[in-house]
Amino acid sequence: MTDTTAHAAGKAPAVAHVRHGEHVDTIESVDAVFREQRKLSFTYGAIFFAVTLAIPAASVWWEDWYAKPIWGGFTANYLFVSLFYYVFLWVMAWTYSKQADKLDEKLARMAEEIAARSLGEKEA
Amino acid sequence: MNTLAIVLVVVLILFTIALSIFSRRFTRTTADFYLAGRKVGSFSNASAISGDYLSAASFLGVAGAVYASGLDGVWYAAGFAGGFMVVVLFIASALRRFGEYTVADFAYGRFGSDRIRLITVLAVLLTSLFYMAPQMFGAGTTWQVLVGKGILGMDPYTSGVVVVAAIMALYVGLGGMKGTTLNQIFQFWWLFFAMFMVVAFAFGHGFSYPKALADASKEPIVDTKALTVAELTTPNPATGKTPLEAAKTVMTPEEYAKVEEFVASKKEGKIPVALPSKNKLHELRAMLFREPGHRYNAFDQFSMVLALVLGTAGLPHILNRYYTNPSGSAARRSTFWVLVFIGLFYIMAPIAGLAGLGYIKEHLANGGTIAAANVHGHLVKPDQVMPTLANLLGGQALLGVVSAGAFAAMFSTIGGLLIASASAVGHDVYEKYINPNASEAKRVLVGRIAVLVFSGLALTIGLAIPKFGLDQAYPALIAMMVTWAFSVGASAFVPMLLTGIWWKGTTERGATAGIFVGLGSSIAFIFLNILQTLGKIPKEGAIGFLGSLTFPVLFTFPLALLTIIVVSKLDGQLPKNVDEIWMRIHGTAHERHERDLGLDKVGGLLGTKSH
Repeated sequence: MTDTTAHAAGKAPAVAHVRHGEHVDTIESVDAVFREQRKLSFTYGAIFFAVTLAIPAASVWWEDWYAKPIWGGFTANYLFVSLFYYVFLWVMAWTYSKQADKLDEKLARMAEEIAARSLGEKEA
Repeated sequence: MNTLAIVLVVVLILFTIALSIFSRRFTRTTADFYLAGRKVGSFSNASAISGDYLSAASFLGVAGAVYASGLDGVWYAAGFAGGFMVVVLFIASALRRFGEYTVADFAYGRFGSDRIRLITVLAVLLTSLFYMAPQMFGAGTTWQVLVGKGILGMDPYTSGVVVVAAIMALYVGLGGMKGTTLNQIFQFWWLFFAMFMVVAFAFGHGFSYPKALADASKEPIVDTKALTVAELTTPNPATGKTPLEAAKTVMTPEEYAKVEEFVASKKEGKIPVALPSKNKLHELRAMLFREPGHRYNAFDQFSMVLALVLGTAGLPHILNRYYTNPSGSAARRSTFWVLVFIGLFYIMAPIAGLAGLGYIKEHLANGGTIAAANVHGHLVKPDQVMPTLANLLGGQALLGVVSAGAFAAMFSTIGGLLIASASAVGHDVYEKYINPNASEAKRVLVGRIAVLVFSGLALTIGLAIPKFGLDQAYPALIAMMVTWAFSVGASAFVPMLLTGIWWKGTTERGATAGIFVGLGSSIAFIFLNILQTLGKIPKEGAIGFLGSLTFPVLFTFPLALLTIIVVSKLDGQLPKNVDEIWMRIHGTAHERHERDLGLDKVGGLLGTKSH
């Protein structure tokens, strides 16, 4: 059964934590990983939006991009939007997911270390 | 429509209902009914999300948009896919970790007030209804195109709307999320197979993508329309030219003679004509297939991209599916697979649209005929390109596969919308406010009744659309209505979700104000646009400018986001347990515990009975 203890509700304790069975998240560990997670997500997000909005921008202002055929009837614009944009999305989603998984593992290790330290202090 | 196509559609419908009846034995609790027991694996969930997402507008409409608009149509496909990057980067895992049932649950859990839950429910219902409208209109028009005949004394359009609404009520009401998930998985792979077969047949007939694109871009794109005598002879106020005069510049003398004869006879009804198109992006250039500008000017190019990309993250029936994953990382993996599946699908759709352009012209030039109305070697209704191409390339068998695919696309999306609407009423309102002590059986029953009610609403909307003349006012109505739904969802939910997940300082008042402003402003812009298109408000002045905005997201999304930030800063009243909430959104103790207990295992979709 899940044993959940939230020490933060309604108060401002020195160490807020949430326990599920043997596993604990503290506000310090979650905050630390959150900052890295936010950096990761917003960096990827900035690249995603920059590339995505660069396509209509190039369509408006760069004639070689939208009007010059580079292979058969393909312009760079058509080729990118109809094919390479998806490859770009796949690579981004895959690498992001792998890095986010690593951050999850980091959070787990950090939380376990904190829980072990807390247990050690109690025994002492 | 041929016998084989009818048989395949009927088999699809019967299989869909059988799957729902089968899954009924596994649907006893609300978690089963709304979330398929939170046991859906990444691959299955990705298939189901893709089925949920790819509607008839994607299956028939994207190929049709490419066929009619070239590169601007291709952008539609890319924008639809790109939206899932916003989901995977900012929303998927956090939403799943929070571990509730619906988006309204998230709002309530994050900000802790009944007020925000209820306004979120309202936003979910309105967004779902906005998205339901094009699906139901698609149901009627698809029936018109593919079946062509009415049943039980109804006209073909009404028959399509009634049949689809009735089947959806039956299968979603019976199977709940488990049945719907199973159906969506099957339906996605069917429509993927149908699209793949059309493209494979095209390449099998010697289709060359680069050569076809070069051929299609040799002459400027023309617009095809069916017009009455009055419409043909009324001068355009801007140019002073009548459509009849404009048609003369692009139609062959033989084609034009028929139009002139029609005008002279003053017959009732409409005649298909080809008209020169204008490059809206680069006014001095001819409008070529491989270049952008057929449908959107510079402003709308940016607005459309943002509407499609942000709108995906604001569709409640898609967001709800993330709760069915067993963990946050599984939600991320699901989204990656969604991008792969729908990416492959959207790579194929423009190929089908371009292939249709070449093969249909070639067929007509060689003396062939096509039942669907056509002019100047083009179909008047671009949405017909998939079935027409299938018929040309693979005969009745391939037409059957495509027809069943079109209905599968409608069923899967409408099913997801019904579940989202039922969750909003059954779970968020009934279980939380009306009868919190209701038994599981009663809760599921209310969910089923909600499905029936929303099926009735969907039916009403589907029947009402032609009565308001919207189908006449907007040439590509399905695509237009889809972007409206995207605009409402993007403006109402996405700012709240982004700030709720990523900014601890967001307050309940800020989030509520943001939802209210995003929802209200996007709907107001849409109705102004409708009123202007129907000629009810002028095109000049401030109102005229606001009414001319095709995609309001460019204004309404930042407006909602800014509202949340400003009101939260002024308010400053954070929930007392904000740290606990934060740990719930971004912590993983719960998932690690579930992993210890083996609760993160997937695959229970078919194998475990609910007790």
